[in-house]
Amino acid sequence: MAYIRKRNRKIFLIFMMPAVLVLFGTTIYPMLYAGYLSFRSYDLAKLFVPRVYVGWANYREILSSSEFLHTLIVTFKLMAMTLSVQLVLGVGIALLVTQRLPGMGVARTLLLIPMMISPVIVGLVWLFLYFPELGYLNYFLSFLGLGPYAWITSTDWALWAIAIADIWQWTPFVMMGTAAALTNLSPEPFEAAKLDGNSPFDVFWRVTLPQIRPVLISLMFLRAIDAFKIYDIIFVLTKGGPGDTTEVLSMFIYRQSFTFWRMGVGAAASFVSLVIIVVLITLFFKSLNRDPHQA
Amino acid sequence: MSSIELKKVVKRYGAVDVVHGIDLEIAEGEFVVLLGPSGCGKTTTLRMIAGLEDVSDGELSIGNQVVNAVAPKDRGVAMVFQNYALYPHMTVRQNMEFALRPLRLARSETDRRINETAVLLGLDELLARRPSQLSGGQRQRVAMARALVRTPDVFLFDEPLSNLDAKLRTQVRLEIGKLHKRLGTTIVYVTHDQVEAMTLADKIVIMQDGHIEQTGSPQEVYTRPRNRFVATFIGSPAMNIVPATISDGKLVGDHVSVEIPERFKKRVQAGQKVEFGIRPTEISLLDGAEQATATARVEVTEYLGDEALLDLRIGSQELIAEVPANQCPAEDAEVRLRFNPEALHIFDAETGMSLENQAR
Ligand SMILES: Nc1ncnc2c1ncn2[C@@H]1O[C@H](COP(=O)(O)OP(=O)(O)O)[C@@H](O)[C@H]1O
Ligand SMILES: [Mg+2]
Repeated sequence: MAYIRKRNRKIFLIFMMPAVLVLFGTTIYPMLYAGYLSFRSYDLAKLFVPRVYVGWANYREILSSSEFLHTLIVTFKLMAMTLSVQLVLGVGIALLVTQRLPGMGVARTLLLIPMMISPVIVGLVWLFLYFPELGYLNYFLSFLGLGPYAWITSTDWALWAIAIADIWQWTPFVMMGTAAALTNLSPEPFEAAKLDGNSPFDVFWRVTLPQIRPVLISLMFLRAIDAFKIYDIIFVLTKGGPGDTTEVLSMFIYRQSFTFWRMGVGAAASFVSLVIIVVLITLFFKSLNRDPHQA
Repeated sequence: MSSIELKKVVKRYGAVDVVHGIDLEIAEGEFVVLLGPSGCGKTTTLRMIAGLEDVSDGELSIGNQVVNAVAPKDRGVAMVFQNYALYPHMTVRQNMEFALRPLRLARSETDRRINETAVLLGLDELLARRPSQLSGGQRQRVAMARALVRTPDVFLFDEPLSNLDAKLRTQVRLEIGKLHKRLGTTIVYVTHDQVEAMTLADKIVIMQDGHIEQTGSPQEVYTRPRNRFVATFIGSPAMNIVPATISDGKLVGDHVSVEIPERFKKRVQAGQKVEFGIRPTEISLLDGAEQATATARVEVTEYLGDEALLDLRIGSQELIAEVPANQCPAEDAEVRLRFNPEALHIFDAETGMSLENQAR
């Protein structure tokens, strides 16, 4: 900032003000306010009861409630389901589209489309597909003599229904990152392996995978952070149901805050979720630094 | 060990031919160098032998078996790539191990071969290192070790020394030569460096624009170049080429006139347009009263220690001469020259072909 002369400093501040205000008003203030609320009892349903300071009571309530624990388990379960499939599918498709075959460039672009759609729309698209009586999925499965399945209303399938929609939307992301990493690998070691007669299986596990491992780790962490915050698709498809089968952490926060109007508890849950994300990110950067091939 | 034979081998990319039907025979145990300027199709030819590129047309045999449709791994070839192509995440030992994996050897045999090869190439101290922890010369040796450990029938080298500095290049060049003497494996070696070609090759194959210009021993291609391209490509500084016309038993050019050597007399006709070639070392300075071939002005002298290079001007023609340093004249001096008639080459001006009796 040394280039800003003294007489320009006022003008600089005036021009910076709007951006700073917007950032403060939309990000920092709500966060501070949520922090403030998380230590209060603030019930929108009881408007005239004062917001009294309750110390760690909200946090204690959350961390000891089996309901919160359940949503945390559902969140991580869903994360494990989506991430594992996205990793396998994403890497598989990336291996395919990076082959020098006709049409692969087009395929690579078309496959990105799901990623560009807003999650709410993705939810709606899959809602039409899953719809018990009118949905396309059961219609097509009926030709195979299967179904009808109660995709989003059965406790067996609801979480998978959500996972499938998320997998559909985010596999392209993993594919794209992996494809970029694959394209960056120098071709000669693969030619050497071809001459030596190493099997494709060996080449994948021992030559390809170790070299793209750092990229895969990054992609998985980005997906993990996103999966931890998953909300829109669930809100459209199941609203956390049936029962609490698909009730993830963000649904819990939403429900506490805007169904039960317990803003203090909701705010405290948000902060717990923030802490978990921060821990995830820290682990992520630690693992990046520990990578042996980055030397 | 295997022989290799190329019959009218063509490589085509789309509609463009980059290798135009080359014929080449490589005997068992021979060290053959493909030499030519960048882009002449050396790498493409080597990769066809390896099986990394398909042969568009013609027939390629290794060990008397046509291999056009044989997978690279079944050809018994190993290759050392220009940029080494080491597996970056594996140690030196693992690099060699991975090359041996398809052979499914017993553990003890794998270890024996790795250790033996490592000792041969002086890598025994480095087996636990990764490529990123090695110098250029060491990586180069690992690349050779990885090719060697499989005991292939044919070794392919693609400009293996081009990433090394000058001193290391000489050293590794000698090592490769020794290695060939010791193992006797057939080697096809690609380079654009004529010194590498001359020092290593049993047989040099000189290529240009996807054609073979000449095949022969280093001595043959140096002393009996088949055409002007080979004559000027081999030898440093390059052979001088002087346009001339045949007249009165002489080669007459711009301010030069040379007696036609006896061996050419029956091969030329009066009035024929030719070019004659003379290597810089075959031009000498006269101080006595002998008949001079030409008189030249010294434009620049370059002192090299034992020798000096003279940039000479004769009329519109520039020549380079290499003379003993103690005979080096002053710049701008007028000197009288003699061209050694025994070392004279004559080429047809149009086709560039040598008029010398050719062995092949
Ligand atoms: N994949 C390719 N597609 C089209 N042209 C190519 C391809 N690979 C090489 N070439 C062309 O073939 C010619 C010979 O290339 P190369 O064998 O690599 O030459 P060298 O190794 O002698 O320098 C060059 O003109 C190059 O541009
Ligand atoms: Mg090349």
